[in-house]
Amino acid sequence: MSDIAITGIGVISSMGIGREAFWETCKKAGTGIKKVTDFETSSFASNVAGWIDDFEPRDYMPPRIYRRMSRISRMAVSSSVEALNNSELDLKGLDKTRIAVILGTAYGSSSRVEDFFVSLLRDGPRGAQPFLFPETVPNAPASHIAMFHGITGPNSTFCQNDISAENAMLYARNLLLGNIVDVVLVGGADELSPMQYHCYNDLGVLNKIKINNHEPADPEPGGGLILGEGAGTLVMERLDFAVKREAKIYGILKTGILAGGATPMGHYEAGGEQMGRAMTMAMEQAGLGPAEIDQISVSANLSAELDRMEYHQLKIIFKNRIKALAVTPLKYLMGDFGGAGIIRAAAVLLSLYHQLSLPALKAEALKPEPHGVLKWDIPSKSKIQTALMTTSTFGGGSSSLVFTCK
Amino acid sequence: MMSTNSSIRVAVTGLGIITAIGESLSEFEEGLFKGECGIGPVSLFDTTGFACQFAAQVKNKNLETGFAPRETKRISRCDFLGLIALREALADSGLLLESCDRNRIGVVLGGGAGGMRSWEQYRRTAWSGETRPKPSLLLPFACCTLTDLIAGQYGLTGSRATISTACSSSATSIGYGFDLIRSGDQDLVITGGSEALSELTFAGFNSIRAMDPEYCRPFDKNRRGLSLGEGAAILILENYTGAESRGAKIYAEVLGYSINCDAYHMTSPDPEAMGMSRVMTAALARAGVRAEQIDYINAHGTATPINDSLETLAIKRTFGESLAGDLAVSSTKSMVGHCLGAAGGIEAVATILALYRQTVPPTIHLVATDPDCDLDYVPNKSRKQEIRAALSNSFAFGGNNTSVVFGRTNQNI
Repeated sequence: MSDIAITGIGVISSMGIGREAFWETCKKAGTGIKKVTDFETSSFASNVAGWIDDFEPRDYMPPRIYRRMSRISRMAVSSSVEALNNSELDLKGLDKTRIAVILGTAYGSSSRVEDFFVSLLRDGPRGAQPFLFPETVPNAPASHIAMFHGITGPNSTFCQNDISAENAMLYARNLLLGNIVDVVLVGGADELSPMQYHCYNDLGVLNKIKINNHEPADPEPGGGLILGEGAGTLVMERLDFAVKREAKIYGILKTGILAGGATPMGHYEAGGEQMGRAMTMAMEQAGLGPAEIDQISVSANLSAELDRMEYHQLKIIFKNRIKALAVTPLKYLMGDFGGAGIIRAAAVLLSLYHQLSLPALKAEALKPEPHGVLKWDIPSKSKIQTALMTTSTFGGGSSSLVFTCK
Repeated sequence: MMSTNSSIRVAVTGLGIITAIGESLSEFEEGLFKGECGIGPVSLFDTTGFACQFAAQVKNKNLETGFAPRETKRISRCDFLGLIALREALADSGLLLESCDRNRIGVVLGGGAGGMRSWEQYRRTAWSGETRPKPSLLLPFACCTLTDLIAGQYGLTGSRATISTACSSSATSIGYGFDLIRSGDQDLVITGGSEALSELTFAGFNSIRAMDPEYCRPFDKNRRGLSLGEGAAILILENYTGAESRGAKIYAEVLGYSINCDAYHMTSPDPEAMGMSRVMTAALARAGVRAEQIDYINAHGTATPINDSLETLAIKRTFGESLAGDLAVSSTKSMVGHCLGAAGGIEAVATILALYRQTVPPTIHLVATDPDCDLDYVPNKSRKQEIRAALSNSFAFGGNNTSVVFGRTNQNI
């Protein structure tokens, strides 16, 4: 038995708080990108992000629990609460040493790093705020999830830039296939912070787009990425375990491959050879050829390097289909962050479950050249059996996952 | 923690290390068994005003020596330490990477604060408002930078991952590397971790009053907290059969590991020590090793009052009072400090050297007996003895516990 079932989904995103709100926005290609009003952006090249302005942690847990949590931990725990409820797992009846929490995040709480360091700069060694320090470690969100639910099984956090969540999913899969655990809460999360925005601005990688309040964002393809934030949790189980308890199954994680290429610091893999290898191997291990892939979720994020490379590899793999090939670059709608892979996987799984394709662009739209306003194809009911989710990150890492219907 | 059904065994065939007590494997080994203390005043940044001003800082002021300028451009102190350890480990392994299938070589490292020191320089300059900070200081901020650098510099295109679970990061990375070889996904994995001292972690541990103002004294009655450290350790893990067939030196075998979570508190361990005990028990079970086959435990041993007594309790729970009393237990943090994201890797190297040399490293600065810490901590002097298998413990912020089991090979001297 090598199939992993996903039986619960929780989403806190700029495209909607909660699985259903997210799916409603997602299926009509609604955007979560808007003007940042939470902090000052006037001196930056950009003023937009896929940021969340309507998240209330008290909808998920009592204030005494989240009082000292960072924003990322609040979002991560909240998404885990939704995912567990959605899975209808009764934790009381389960051995909690056989449940794991595995999370991916690029930076953890960058705001707590900033706040703690500023307290040191401002007030000196004796003024550094001790309550801020514990949340500076990237594993804080996963630990909070474990504490909140009393889950004492394996717990780990992966930080590999934009393939952090994909790393988490594959480690989770290993835990299940190895029969180390019965259930994994696998998460992806990152928070948007003024410090992170400032740093990305100074590195010159942000899409140079400035809008007024409530004005729709119309980013320039290839013009640079748009930052985002959010958290997602998937409840993963071995298929036999899920079937035995008659769980609702959103989809199956069939295979997954991690790879990486050489690249200068801060850049994507030139040419994307390893990205292509990961895609090819993931499909091969799933026993599928390119012609049998019904939908593709790509990691394109509006940066010229990544989008060009991803298009190039799709062209090599899908050959003659490239002109008609439809792909879903969800980061165009929710921004880019290290834990985004879980929310992208959630979109794929909801699409498989509802048998409704994700909104898509022609693959050629990934080419970093002027296209005019992006024309999303909003599908009606369709038959989808398979989906490929491909991700590449600056630093050179790549992953590909294949999901199928039950 | 993949299935134990796999017949693939995992060998450790190369080691590289840089710490405050030695900047190469041979120097480290000498310091380790002599019981040298690497803890002293910090010179890397201004510590005026901190209750503790000591740490185990790497002494070398010219870390970039031996690197071509293009290799060191924009990299952080953490990356330097890691690359130095990597070079030594690769040379030690005798591997010719050119003749390997690089799609089957993974890089899995543990990360802590990563390039925090570079970010601090950026942030401090911005805070002063005097000049515009260099954006390039931001590039190595992410703790996965070293992983990407290693994979990139050597063209390694296999699995790539960075685990960040604070003090257990690199111990877990060794476990994941073990998984990847056991499952047949990779033939070889470069693993371990690196950590550089940073103002943020130094101020952080000072702020929560977890640091001894002088040097740490693990398991001593008068212990007052930890000493931070820095360094890097890289281990080359290899399919055992492949290592044997190429005639590689095999230091030890990775037999298994386990990870879990206390689910109790962000900074305090479970007061019943159940998480620590369970993780050791599970690691032994997955390694197929009986408790009585373990002769040595490289303890987490931070020297905080709570950790050391609870780790002692956990060892007794796992092994029983009688067996626990027969075990040699030591904290090498007494010499190299607590190296956070690199701690698990450095302590794995210490454990492997203990197996390879059949010698237990000591716990130094251990003078006064604590009734709550009543095991054999090998005080102040190393000891020659038979070690068949050994356990290395790492217990982190957030209750992230890891135990790794290593076994001796027939190549031990």
